[in-house]
Amino acid sequence: MKLKLFVDRLSQPCRAILIFCKMNEIEFEEVRIELSKGEQLSPEFKEINPMQKVPAMKVDERFRLFESHAILRFLAGAFPGVADHWYPADLFKRAEIDSVLDWHHANLRHGSAGLVFHSKLARLSGRPLDLRAAADCEKVLSASLAKIESVWLKEEGQFLLGNSKPSIADLSLVCETMQLEALDEKVRKRLLDPHGKVRKWMDDTRNATQPYFDEIHGVLFQVKDKLKEMESDE
Amino acid sequence: MKLKLFVHRLSQPSRAVLIFCKLNKIEFEEVQIDLSKGEHLSPEFKEINPMHKVPAMEVDGGFKLFESHAILRFLACASPGVADHWYPADLFKRAEINSVLDWHHANLRHGSAGLVFHSKLAPLFGLPSDVQAAAECEKVLLASLAKIESFWLKEEEQFLLGNSKPSIADLSLVCETMQLEALDEKVRQRLLDPHEKVRKWVDDTRNAMQPYFGEIHGVLFQLKDKLKEMESDE
Repeated sequence: MKLKLFVDRLSQPCRAILIFCKMNEIEFEEVRIELSKGEQLSPEFKEINPMQKVPAMKVDERFRLFESHAILRFLAGAFPGVADHWYPADLFKRAEIDSVLDWHHANLRHGSAGLVFHSKLARLSGRPLDLRAAADCEKVLSASLAKIESVWLKEEGQFLLGNSKPSIADLSLVCETMQLEALDEKVRKRLLDPHGKVRKWMDDTRNATQPYFDEIHGVLFQVKDKLKEMESDE
Repeated sequence: MKLKLFVHRLSQPSRAVLIFCKLNKIEFEEVQIDLSKGEHLSPEFKEINPMHKVPAMEVDGGFKLFESHAILRFLACASPGVADHWYPADLFKRAEINSVLDWHHANLRHGSAGLVFHSKLAPLFGLPSDVQAAAECEKVLLASLAKIESFWLKEEEQFLLGNSKPSIADLSLVCETMQLEALDEKVRQRLLDPHEKVRKWVDDTRNAMQPYFGEIHGVLFQLKDKLKEMESDE
């Protein structure tokens, strides 16, 4: 299977897929779609994904797929070398991972991505900040982090659902929490400090997916520096 | 497998799970959780679903699962006799259905459920209507209906993704659109009239799932009448 991945490393779901492929030695061609330049809105990219979002995937120049969780499930199922813990064959274990992946959209994703975009990243595309939207998203984010701390992370096991090895749910959700690096350090600490288990889980997932995790997150840290410059210029 | 389904028939995802089970002759015990009485907030229900939401499922008095898409995927795979078209074994077809199910959360679900809740249902829960939130959700709803019309529904075949038989994606999304029945008829027509393919798809899905579709949606139509009375009393 010849894979093309259409991604921007500033996008959390893109990073999850890139790390997954590298961890599992799945070969792919990375096609960069730069969101800050509006490249996702081009007519060419609309052919790949009519929703005009990244990530998107093309298989053997004929099958197109978008939505990162659908892509991760597909890759886990289609490549025989992928270890079972990523998306287990056991229906009960798989269902639990599905419930985290589904819960994510309206909870951690909505909260975290919304807060970071409306309070920081909108600038990169020349859009105004929306502090009211950011505040609404922060409420959702705080509630979501609390749920990960109290429900999804268990006493036993390092990963979500008490698992001893990471699944695609850990990868998706931790890539999302990494986006909080774009916030001011004080804000980020205020959000994460109350959640000792969440912070440990982020470290454990990072460690389990090195060196690819840090390599793929490189641009995020560059953006963090760039935002600091932009703000000190004002 | 002994199933207990914790549901409220006013909840769109609860209806999808109930209809799926009835169509596929999956036996279950229906435990009604009345949202308008706050029954989802009870300590007993918290044991079933710590997110305090319906639907939720308990299998053989032990395994608990929530998030309707996770439940539908599990039941499609775990119950013998479920026809392949609901959630195909073919990884490519399955991936396409997964992409609709994932897209749904932040799009049709967010728009439709939000609009109906903030403009109509909130008073049933003793909450004020939120006109601004309703307006924002309406924008998302309109964009989502347009995407279903222009992309998810194809020229050939009756169901999403150009499928000739319904999948769990059709069931989930059509149950969501049915919630629009709670709106004033003029508003509902304004939203749906521009989308002929969507209207046909809703009818086709309904027809493919009778008599259960009509039976499970009974409470929604009773609610519609109750809302009309409440409004004419004011």
